[in-house]
Amino acid sequence: MTPHPLSMSHATKRFGSFLAVNGLSLDVPEGRIVGFLGPNGAGKSTSLRMALGVMTPDEGTALLFGAPPTQQTLSRVGFLPEERGLYKKMTPRSTISYFARLKGLSGRDATMRADELLETAGLEAFAKSRNSKLSKGMAQKVQILSTLAHRPDFLILDEPFSGLDPVNQQALEDLIRAEHERGATILFSTHVMEHAERLCDSIIMMAGGEKVFDGTLDDAYNVLGRGARIGVADNFDLGKALGEKGFRARRDTDDTDTYWWRVTLDNGMNAQDALRAAIETDAAINGFMPDETRLRDVFVKLAGHQDGPRNSSVTDSVEVAA
Amino acid sequence: MRNVFLVFRRDYLSYVTAWGFWLGLAALPILMVLGAVVGGFAANSAPVRYYTVIETGDTYSRQIEAEFDRSLSDSLRQARDQFSAIGPSVDDETLDRFLEEGGDLQPKFIQVDPPAESIDALRPWLLGEQLLDGPAGQKPLFAAIIVPTDGSDIQYWSEDVNVSELRLKVQRAARTISRVRVFADANLDPGIIDRADAAALRVREQRIRTAEEQVASGNEVTLADRAPFFVSLGIAYILWLMIFSVIQYLLMGTIEERSNKIFDTLLTSVRLPQLLAGKLGAVFAVTATMMSTWALLGSAGLAFGLATMSDEMSAPLLAALGAGFSPQIMIPAMISFILGYLMYGVIFMALGSLCDTIQEAQTLLSPLMILLMLPMIMIIVAFNDPTSPAVAISSWVPLFTPFVLILRMPTEPPLWEVIVQIGLMAVTTMAVLWLATKVYRAGAVHGAGVGDAVDWIKRLIPGMGPKQARS
Repeated sequence: MTPHPLSMSHATKRFGSFLAVNGLSLDVPEGRIVGFLGPNGAGKSTSLRMALGVMTPDEGTALLFGAPPTQQTLSRVGFLPEERGLYKKMTPRSTISYFARLKGLSGRDATMRADELLETAGLEAFAKSRNSKLSKGMAQKVQILSTLAHRPDFLILDEPFSGLDPVNQQALEDLIRAEHERGATILFSTHVMEHAERLCDSIIMMAGGEKVFDGTLDDAYNVLGRGARIGVADNFDLGKALGEKGFRARRDTDDTDTYWWRVTLDNGMNAQDALRAAIETDAAINGFMPDETRLRDVFVKLAGHQDGPRNSSVTDSVEVAA
Repeated sequence: MRNVFLVFRRDYLSYVTAWGFWLGLAALPILMVLGAVVGGFAANSAPVRYYTVIETGDTYSRQIEAEFDRSLSDSLRQARDQFSAIGPSVDDETLDRFLEEGGDLQPKFIQVDPPAESIDALRPWLLGEQLLDGPAGQKPLFAAIIVPTDGSDIQYWSEDVNVSELRLKVQRAARTISRVRVFADANLDPGIIDRADAAALRVREQRIRTAEEQVASGNEVTLADRAPFFVSLGIAYILWLMIFSVIQYLLMGTIEERSNKIFDTLLTSVRLPQLLAGKLGAVFAVTATMMSTWALLGSAGLAFGLATMSDEMSAPLLAALGAGFSPQIMIPAMISFILGYLMYGVIFMALGSLCDTIQEAQTLLSPLMILLMLPMIMIIVAFNDPTSPAVAISSWVPLFTPFVLILRMPTEPPLWEVIVQIGLMAVTTMAVLWLATKVYRAGAVHGAGVGDAVDWIKRLIPGMGPKQARS
């Protein structure tokens, strides 16, 4: 069996008495886009730094491609840190080329790759400008390109969207998809849920230094329980009729000419199934509003109570087999 | 190793393409030329000053003039003796003839006739409100020397209390006149004093050598005897200068990486020891580049000079170079240079890793700068006396050994002392490397700052205690 690009087992990191990450275990399977979510201070960056060997776990292990982080395994990884910067006196071309060479490319290949990436990103005109002359957005692009320069098998992006305008956020989303299509496994941390919803196959959620969720997006939505509202024109007992078809429905608030029923969708059910069942009951349907459960709501539910200092475990983890 | 080289190459190129490097490179030759030019200019451009003597007769006037002549003669003879090792010898007769003819020497003090006879009347000239006509054009009166007729003290009047040369000449003249008078009163010929001075034996400095060396080199003190001392002083000073200036590149570079948040990116590509090695190597290479350039320039100048010199002049110079750059001096010097560079280099890097700004760095640098001034003081002490106990004792302090051991080498300290001191220096360098790497890791990886460094220091001081563990 091919080892996962990243496997962490009971990884713990303390800073003095402060427990930054507590017993984190996770796997990032090959070929996935995994979102690493959590509020500020949840321990995401510390976890990623342990994964990369920048920090050593006090307890537990972190393995890249089945081995501890070494120069060899790290050469297959591209890392974009949360706190990013460039050498101000270098040019975008020399910056990308330098980091590509550090990852093992030859000088010639690194320069060619830098030119190629700069052209793709529309920065070829600035290839030989000093980094200090670049706009913030351009500088961030250069940093991202430096991460991709050696065509890594595994990309770890720590808050990659922070500081980018909407246009560049979209461009980065496209780039992540393109890297995924190329075959790269991607793990990115964010606290902007919309990016995770659009990009991820699965998510891992951290709060208070601990993992509080690990599963697919659907699994995440199910944490809150999904549902839909169906309105009927008369006082028809939709609850009873749907109950015979395996749905649970209860009366909700009424409008002037509509009687609303709230349907709870269990695992495997979706709102369209509930609507279809309601139509089959011959009820006079005049309203349908599927719940728009967002990852944000799941995030708030799971992570919202995790602020404040921590010295020990305080949360329960929700883990769903992917 | 490849990544060490890549870090080394990037840092090296970033330093040598900076303006600061080229300014530093040009600084030494420019300073040397400026020093020579400004020194020569200062010596030749000393202002000409008028003074006057008010007395009955001209005894003091003539004696003060004679003191200036004697002073000039002594200076020339002293210079002749000092440079006789490398220059053509000048005999006393030639020198006397030169002095009699006056050469083209411009006197710094010119005696003029008094424009008035009392100090109150002289006041406008002494304060510069009125100018005197004299051989050097119109000038204020610098000083008036009034010799009272009642035998009381000579009055020396001047607005400038900082220049003492003329006052000292007057004092010397007064002493000479007194001696002449006392001799005359005792019915002795005053010329006996000059004859006694002329008959005094000269002290000839000679260097004691083994019998074999004496046959080969003679007894005279030559430039080759003094060369090791000058070379060791030069190396110690260059090491100090390098650590004080060039090594700060490390500090600045580390601060830039920390403030630009580059560490995390770097540390996922390069291991920490590789990063440190590359950076230290780069700054060392910058130092080596500077020194090689200066050495090349110096060698070219020297080669040119030697080519234009007679054998009589070039032979002692070549002998001096051979003695100054002997293995006995150069091997300990190179070891000290490398260990000293490493020791202070990692300290600067570790400090840089704790700072986001230059201002923060200055807080931590101040004690280090004070520490670095001590070796400079030792260089000055050794300049006067390389065998001074202060130099010997401070050479046992490992932080100072890199500088002071070099200074001691011309005095040929016992071999065991040299070996033990180099050993201590090496052990200390390793300890500093270990500690600085830990500090660097704390700064670069964990984001420790100046405040944390203060806490660490407080923990080391009994009673201060730790404030709070870092979170």
